[in-house]
Amino acid sequence: MRIKKIRRSVIRKAAYSVLVWLLAALWFVPIFWMLTTSLKPTTTAITEDPPQWIPSPMTFENYAAVARAAGGINVGRSVWNSFVVAGIATITGLLVAIPAAYALARLRFPGQRIIFWTYVAILAFPSVLFLVPNFFIINSLGLMNSFAALILPGLGGTFGVFMLRQYMLGIPRELEEAALIDGCSRVRILTKIVVPLIRPALVTLGIMTFLGSWNSFLWPLIVLTSSSKFTLPIALVRFSAGWGDPYRGIGPSMAAAFISVAPVLIIFVAFHRYLMRGVSLGSIGK
Amino acid sequence: MARPLSKRIRTGVGAYIFLLPHLFFFALFVAAPLIYGMIMSFHDWRLLGEPRFIGLDNFSRVWNDSRFWETVKNTVFFSAVSVPLTVVLGVVLALILNQKMYGKLWPLVAFVSPAFFGSIGILFSWRWILGSQPAALANYYLKQIGLISDPMSWFKSATFAWTWIIMITAWWIVGFSVLLYIGALQRIPQEQYEAAKIDGAGPWKRFVHVTLPWIRNVMFFDVARHVLLAFGLFDQVYILTGGGPAGSTRTMVYYLYLVGFERQQLGRAAAISWYIFMIVIAFGLIQLALLTQSVRSAEVE
Repeated sequence: MRIKKIRRSVIRKAAYSVLVWLLAALWFVPIFWMLTTSLKPTTTAITEDPPQWIPSPMTFENYAAVARAAGGINVGRSVWNSFVVAGIATITGLLVAIPAAYALARLRFPGQRIIFWTYVAILAFPSVLFLVPNFFIINSLGLMNSFAALILPGLGGTFGVFMLRQYMLGIPRELEEAALIDGCSRVRILTKIVVPLIRPALVTLGIMTFLGSWNSFLWPLIVLTSSSKFTLPIALVRFSAGWGDPYRGIGPSMAAAFISVAPVLIIFVAFHRYLMRGVSLGSIGK
Repeated sequence: MARPLSKRIRTGVGAYIFLLPHLFFFALFVAAPLIYGMIMSFHDWRLLGEPRFIGLDNFSRVWNDSRFWETVKNTVFFSAVSVPLTVVLGVVLALILNQKMYGKLWPLVAFVSPAFFGSIGILFSWRWILGSQPAALANYYLKQIGLISDPMSWFKSATFAWTWIIMITAWWIVGFSVLLYIGALQRIPQEQYEAAKIDGAGPWKRFVHVTLPWIRNVMFFDVARHVLLAFGLFDQVYILTGGGPAGSTRTMVYYLYLVGFERQQLGRAAAISWYIFMIVIAFGLIQLALLTQSVRSAEVE
């Protein structure tokens, strides 16, 4: 009797799993199709009827075309640019946000409430409000067409500070108080006690900052002018446009698009546990 | 027992040293732009040449520009459809993923990871899938299942263009909401479901009386986020339709981009961004009020 019941529940679970896997496969079609197309010769991709899911013949010529900058745009270089910009933006962003979040979470000082609530209120402002004046400010600072133009404005964002503060409020005060009595300085407490404890939040925020920068489009579109500075999204658009008709360059374009997606996919799979915890705890403050 | 004043000042100064690096960039790239944006909107302001004070001219020109109101209409329509759709889809997918199953990583990757992909790559793929040739993926399979009889040029029709923009956007950004809702669902104590079951509550009743109250706050946060995202709609239009056909998919931010950065009229673009700001606030408040009401009435029921 019981074995039968268990077996039935296992079958039900398996059937449900298969159903969800299939739904997931359908959901992921745009990514599969991007990869499949990138492995076909362009002439095959645009003439074959019906569409083929397994490329035959399979070719890497599209990736070779991307590598030798066939459309006149050096996508390889833009990958490096994006990587450098996103990396610096992430590290500097964390370095600026951590002490600010600590001050708002733990220290008492005049103006604290005003600053905190201003930071929270700013989160409700549409980012487009800052687009035009920041364009002017970046121009006035002589930073047009530079990586600094891509990195610096993000450092003033308040989301990271808010998120880390919420996390820090969740760690018990006793640890820090004991260290204070032992004569530890606030800086040491922050680096030795607080930072290790909020590591999941730091990883989540770091990933979000990195990917936000990696994927950012409108702002780089406005402030970057020379192709040697292009980040990946801008290079993608120019690279694809370089073939005239989008179909003529569909193979290389899909290869370049997949190059932009692949690292994100790897990061996601590697850190999905952190992301699941971090996103839900940090962004709403429990 | 009040602490001595000198110590309070010391810790106050210390706190500001911690805060200073962030405060500096906040002042320069968040606070100053708000003030500058105000000033610029009262000027005829180009990238080159002296700005000229023109009072409310920018605001009244935008106010009287029927093309601008067309973009407002488009964006509000998009938000009104896309925000509820994405929120509901996010909850549904999270409920699907929250069941016991084998190999959960794969569906998690499929549903959630697109939200972390850059817009351009995935939009290229969608543009290719939605090509007008008969063997383009969408045309081919939709014909196979009998939804269309002839190959379509999807972006030549305003209705289809919007339908696809809305669906692609939901497909793309829903993953982040799914993460939020999974987090919220996992905090619900299982006993509450057991208790509801004993009381004879069916699945829908259990969802309304147990699940919904627990995820309500996350939903408010998610709605606010999606309103902001929806009013920022730009990349999808830029890549897929270029605002066409005949301006029918032009959005407010796209319009601002054209005025500010193609025609380089920064002053007027600044005025447009204040209009956008006010419309977003109004829309966000209405949306939250509606949601509060609907969640409340669902719980009372």
